[in-house]
Amino acid sequence: MNKSANNAEKYFEFVTSWPKTYFIVSILTILWIATFVPQIHKDTSSDAFIAKDNPIVLYRDQVRDVFGLEDPIVVAVINDGPRGIFNPDSLALVDQLTQTIGKLSNVDPDRITSLATESNIVGTIDGMEVTDFFEPYPSTQARADEIKAAIADFPLYQGTLVARDSNATLIVVELLDQDAAQITYDEILAIVAATPVTAGTEIHVAGEGAISGYRSTYIDRDATRLNPLAAVVITIVLFMAFRTLTGAVLPNIVVLGTLAAAFGAMAAFGVSFYVITNGLATILIGIAVADSIHIMSQVYEEIARAPELATSRIGRREIVIRAMSKMWKPITFTTITTIAGFAGIWLGAAMPPMKFFGMFAAVGVAGAWVYSMFLLPAALTLFPLKPSKLFKAEHNSRTSIDRCGAALKNLGAAALNRPRLAAAVAVLIVAFGIVGTNRVIVQEVQIDNFQPDEPIHIADNEINRRMDGTYFLDIVVETNEPEGLFRPDHLRRIEALQAHIEQIPAVGGSTSVVDYIKQMHKAVNENRHEFYSIPDDEFLIAQLFLLYSASGDPDDFEAEIDTDYAQANVRFNFPAADYQLLTEVVPAIQNYVKHEFNSDEIQAHLSGRVMVNYTWLKTIGDNHLRSLMLSLLFVWLAAALAFRSILAGALSLIPVGMSLLLVYAVMGFGNIWLGVGTSMFAAIAIGLGIDFAIHTLDRMKELLSNRSGSYDQRLADLFPSTGRALFFNFAALTFGFLVLVTSEVPALIKFGLLVAVAVSTSFISSITILPVLGKLLKPTFLFRQGEISPQDRKLSALASAGSTMALVALVSVLVVNFAEAGDASKLPSGDSLIAQVNARDDGQQVTRSLKMELVDRRGKSRVRETLGYRRYYGEEKRTVIFYRSPTNVKGTGFLTYDYSQAETDDDQWLYLPALRKVRRISAADRGDYFLGTDFSYEDIKKETRIATEDYIFTTLSSEEIESQFTYLVEGIPVDSATAEELGYGRVRWHIDPQIWMSRKTEMWDVNGNRLKTVRNENIEQIQGIWTALKLTALNHKTGHSTTFTFSDVDYQSPVEDSIFEQRTLRRGR
Amino acid sequence: MLKSAIAFFPVIALISLASIDAKAESIAERIELSGKFESQLAFGTTTHIAQKKAFVLTPEIGIDLTPALHLTVIARLRSDIADELEPGKPEQRNRSHYSTRHFTGTHADTELREAYIDAEIDNTFLRIGKQQVVWGQADGLKVLDILNPQTFREFILNDFEDSRIPLWTVNAEIAIGDAFMQVVWIADQTYDDIPKPGATFAFTSPQIIPSLAPGIPTTISTPTRPSKFLADSDIAAQFSLFINGWDLSLNYAYHYSDQPVIRRNHSQTGITVRQNYERTHLLGGSFSNVFGDFTFRGEIGYSSHRFFLTNNIADRDGVIESGELAYVVGTDYQGLRDWLVSAQFFQSIITNPDTNVVRDEVNTTTTFLVRRDLMNETLEAEVLLIHTLNQSDGVVQASLKYEWITNIHLSVGADIFYGVSKGLFGQFNDKDRVTVGVEVGF
Repeated sequence: MNKSANNAEKYFEFVTSWPKTYFIVSILTILWIATFVPQIHKDTSSDAFIAKDNPIVLYRDQVRDVFGLEDPIVVAVINDGPRGIFNPDSLALVDQLTQTIGKLSNVDPDRITSLATESNIVGTIDGMEVTDFFEPYPSTQARADEIKAAIADFPLYQGTLVARDSNATLIVVELLDQDAAQITYDEILAIVAATPVTAGTEIHVAGEGAISGYRSTYIDRDATRLNPLAAVVITIVLFMAFRTLTGAVLPNIVVLGTLAAAFGAMAAFGVSFYVITNGLATILIGIAVADSIHIMSQVYEEIARAPELATSRIGRREIVIRAMSKMWKPITFTTITTIAGFAGIWLGAAMPPMKFFGMFAAVGVAGAWVYSMFLLPAALTLFPLKPSKLFKAEHNSRTSIDRCGAALKNLGAAALNRPRLAAAVAVLIVAFGIVGTNRVIVQEVQIDNFQPDEPIHIADNEINRRMDGTYFLDIVVETNEPEGLFRPDHLRRIEALQAHIEQIPAVGGSTSVVDYIKQMHKAVNENRHEFYSIPDDEFLIAQLFLLYSASGDPDDFEAEIDTDYAQANVRFNFPAADYQLLTEVVPAIQNYVKHEFNSDEIQAHLSGRVMVNYTWLKTIGDNHLRSLMLSLLFVWLAAALAFRSILAGALSLIPVGMSLLLVYAVMGFGNIWLGVGTSMFAAIAIGLGIDFAIHTLDRMKELLSNRSGSYDQRLADLFPSTGRALFFNFAALTFGFLVLVTSEVPALIKFGLLVAVAVSTSFISSITILPVLGKLLKPTFLFRQGEISPQDRKLSALASAGSTMALVALVSVLVVNFAEAGDASKLPSGDSLIAQVNARDDGQQVTRSLKMELVDRRGKSRVRETLGYRRYYGEEKRTVIFYRSPTNVKGTGFLTYDYSQAETDDDQWLYLPALRKVRRISAADRGDYFLGTDFSYEDIKKETRIATEDYIFTTLSSEEIESQFTYLVEGIPVDSATAEELGYGRVRWHIDPQIWMSRKTEMWDVNGNRLKTVRNENIEQIQGIWTALKLTALNHKTGHSTTFTFSDVDYQSPVEDSIFEQRTLRRGR
Repeated sequence: MLKSAIAFFPVIALISLASIDAKAESIAERIELSGKFESQLAFGTTTHIAQKKAFVLTPEIGIDLTPALHLTVIARLRSDIADELEPGKPEQRNRSHYSTRHFTGTHADTELREAYIDAEIDNTFLRIGKQQVVWGQADGLKVLDILNPQTFREFILNDFEDSRIPLWTVNAEIAIGDAFMQVVWIADQTYDDIPKPGATFAFTSPQIIPSLAPGIPTTISTPTRPSKFLADSDIAAQFSLFINGWDLSLNYAYHYSDQPVIRRNHSQTGITVRQNYERTHLLGGSFSNVFGDFTFRGEIGYSSHRFFLTNNIADRDGVIESGELAYVVGTDYQGLRDWLVSAQFFQSIITNPDTNVVRDEVNTTTTFLVRRDLMNETLEAEVLLIHTLNQSDGVVQASLKYEWITNIHLSVGADIFYGVSKGLFGQFNDKDRVTVGVEVGF
């Protein structure tokens, strides 16, 4: 026995020496940690998925402060009768509900909007009058008809407050505390239930506020009910596995300890319990059960070998020490690999709930290990252990097997008898998985978290079918002066913005102060329709607001405009706001705002719930793959370290990989989206799957090293013993989580199903594919030293090399993925990167020789040699280039004064020796090619800098260029005129943050065709200044290329003023 | 040529010896040799004879004497087998001693084109030696560009670079704040090369050559060239300034007009035609600026003493004296990528006119240039039209230049004259030609 085994034995002797004490200490520890659990703060809001310091969230909060906008709960009164809701009963119902709901403690009575609270703007002889719609109260049909006519004359309310067909109206309820949305939602439901309605009238409650409040509770409630049920099912399975009380109860104690460790730690560290944290319970139960099952199986095997020992505590101690000495290693291995997997999730994830998921799953796994290594041996020693009838000893000290073991033995034998067939089947399954994986789409439809027959689902459908929509995108318009929004040009811009965005089919309608101004303008002009427009006169607009305040409440515009009239909120209604839709709509709107709306005087920003949700949902897809890759890599490394073989690492990933692929295949073919709920399946698949692989490999190694006979003979015991334990591990988890399929929550149903798929795949592939691959590849780490024939060794080495390459590939994919799909919110902004590039020191002056090589498509080359000088005069930059060769251009000189003000054109002179004249040339055509090269005048002029006034920058990702980390920044010209002028429709710079220089720049023409690639190469520090000594530009359209090679670069020698004079140009040197 | 070399080189040699610093880099490193070899063929499409079959070698040497002193020498060796442009051996009476060309036989000549030393002393730049000094903003049309005479060997068809005759000159440019004062002293009494009768581009237009009554015996005497080194030298100054985007210059010259004044004297024996050169003051200025894609440029000059041929038989010498105001305005448009479109408008006005003056009181010429660069400036296509409004004559020059590889250029072109024979361009109506050229740089 080796040293570590001795140490292990000593340890377990110690643990079992005072079993009672240790057991009690363990239980007390569990209870103590568990006391923290009630303190855990539940944060089931949508906002939890996005970091609190994300700019979008901060801006949204700021907007909330200015305009008082919250995610409202929406109550709809629907009447499909001939008069719609415009009848005294329905209107009275609206009034009654408005009054009652307004009294709720979490409802701001001033921020409840309905027909009963809103005002009509009508023209009078004096100007206009603002009167409540319900003044006088609509107790008669005639009065109801009047209100109907008034609404018909008030476009602003159509679709937002009253359905365009008059059959529905809304009561929009804004909450004081969004976190208490759930309670308010329940209260409103109670009010609705208690309110008698006439036949034909329906009341629905929905809205973003209701959904975000209720959704989480809904999932949470079901999960809380079903998780214990799962525990019961698992216990039953455990009982079936061992048919002893101890066998069924002890693992549950370990499970409780594990859960207490994870959730207690979360509570202790102030980490909230998020919706997806329910998944954490699942995984921890699975892992804790797995550890217990393997230990217990071993214990029962030991008892079967020496039943007489089980009767006394000393004997039991002996059994436990024997069993634990065998099992501590695989349990530790699985713990390490699982922790590695979760560490990958933790480090790779961007959404806070996912990060914490990874982190505390790792804590829980560690907890499970501690309890398995400490509590379990103590408890097994302490309590009487009845031999399990399922474990019987055979003559040759091998354990006999039950039916389950026999079935597994047959399965194993079948696989081992036809190893190639088994491998081929595995390959087919992988192929199927890959196909399915490609079908997975990132999507999240919030309302689909509810069953279609849930009232909230129905309400959402009804309301969004009839109205403009209950999902809000806010576009906040900011002018740079108080009362800036009295200016007609600004208002027209907003009007155009509304008109443009309303054209998008997904957009239901919009509301802004412009609508009110138009209504007021109409009102003061005898309600004539032709005056439903923005007045041309700034003073008239100011006057309208003043007139309004004479009879109306000035706070009426609180949600549309700030008190300084400098900022306005334009609210767009969306009847649906699923992620796939938003990925099309939001960028289009952003684009319009950036390029068509924004100017120096007025800017718009996107905000609101739709924007916040879009922002965090966007991270799911990118992040998912990244954390997955990282997790796989960590698992691989951990397994490789545990077995001291890279190939072992690769093999242990096979069952995990297969289960992942199958999970994705089920998602792909089953139309299960990769969304909030499903984004953690991969984590669970890895966490649970790796255990099967590690246990199998460890036992294979043990059997192959210690037994004799053929490969198949030596492995024969694998299937009935370890295989059996794994089977019950699999059964406990699969059946346990299949319970979730009975849930009402669609997300939980999918969850249960996918966990079952993941666990089944891991189990079957571990027990079949791994032995088969061991047989085929003969990896050295499984066998005794010197046992492998040289030929097999070669094969094993080949497999090892292959897996090393695969590891490298995985790392590379990960690196690229980190770069490409990296979380955009964590990348520095394009503007800041470009500012750094422009701030890079490129020397107060420089003298340098430049060789230009121009090569055409056919490889024909032309060479020019020049001498160049550059010097800054404050912000002004002067550059001169003198041609030295060839003879026909010798003496040509090019002088530029580049002024600091962007609007001032450069002054440029060209000296042509053939004319002996300095020619003044126009600098307007920055996109022209510089003297026949593939660089434009602008490229030459700016050198490594970038004109900030020409582009709108976005950081897309990070990439490696020439093994250097770079940020990929895209610049889109600010308008089409600039694009034409530059000759570029799009530019992408790969900016190296070490040197603040673009290493590679790609340009597209105005038609979107790939135009040029410019590379800065041979970058060296010269006199402390980073200098690209070689610049290449390849024109993809013409095939022509230019290489600039700089030499004799000198930043220190003074460059005289006179160098930049026309007379010097004439001298040509 | 030889004489000028003999006269000039001892000076250069002395300066060179005095200035070469033994410690500095080797002489080889300071000497830069370059040049070009051209083969030019011009074929008359009307006359069906070759106007030019020339091989031209233009070597250039540059020597850094000291960091502040630089010597440049450019020579030209030309052999024109056709010998149609200047048949035989020209007398070169228009040229000063130090600027003559050296002829070998009838069709080969050697000329020291330029030989000057550049020096920089504080804010003054000096260029002393044989050189070209070019003024003005106009292309091809000369208002201020009068310091160097011109060779009309190929009328105006050859390159400006080749058509100007460099002169021995002291040229000083002094920086005065942001402005520059250029002072030029030309002690070289060399004037325009006018092809003799019989040459391809010999002048026949009555605007230049007085028409003589047939039957009257005529004696044409050789031109009288000013010859006093100091007294007959030209002096000129230019004040130039770049301000608020404007390139401005103010120019003054006291110089001999480079065209001879052709006077006829009636005597009993007949008519004697005498040619001499006359001094004039020139006062003028130039401007240029850029507005968007357009460059606007122009120059104006007033010459105090100009002489024009008159038809007045009673006139004593057949010329009248008047002031001449000339100006050019032009614009270049570079708004289209790789295109240059340029137009110029030129007028010359006789300020003190006489009804009998041969030429019109106001001469108006326009030019129109379109150039297109293709294939990354490997190929340049150009069409230039020069058109006079007075005679409605002119010339169209079309050319294609191709940079085959570094240092080798191929070119083809056509020069087509049109208009009446008394016109400046029309006189060469039968001299249309196509040209082919190869230029090899080294």
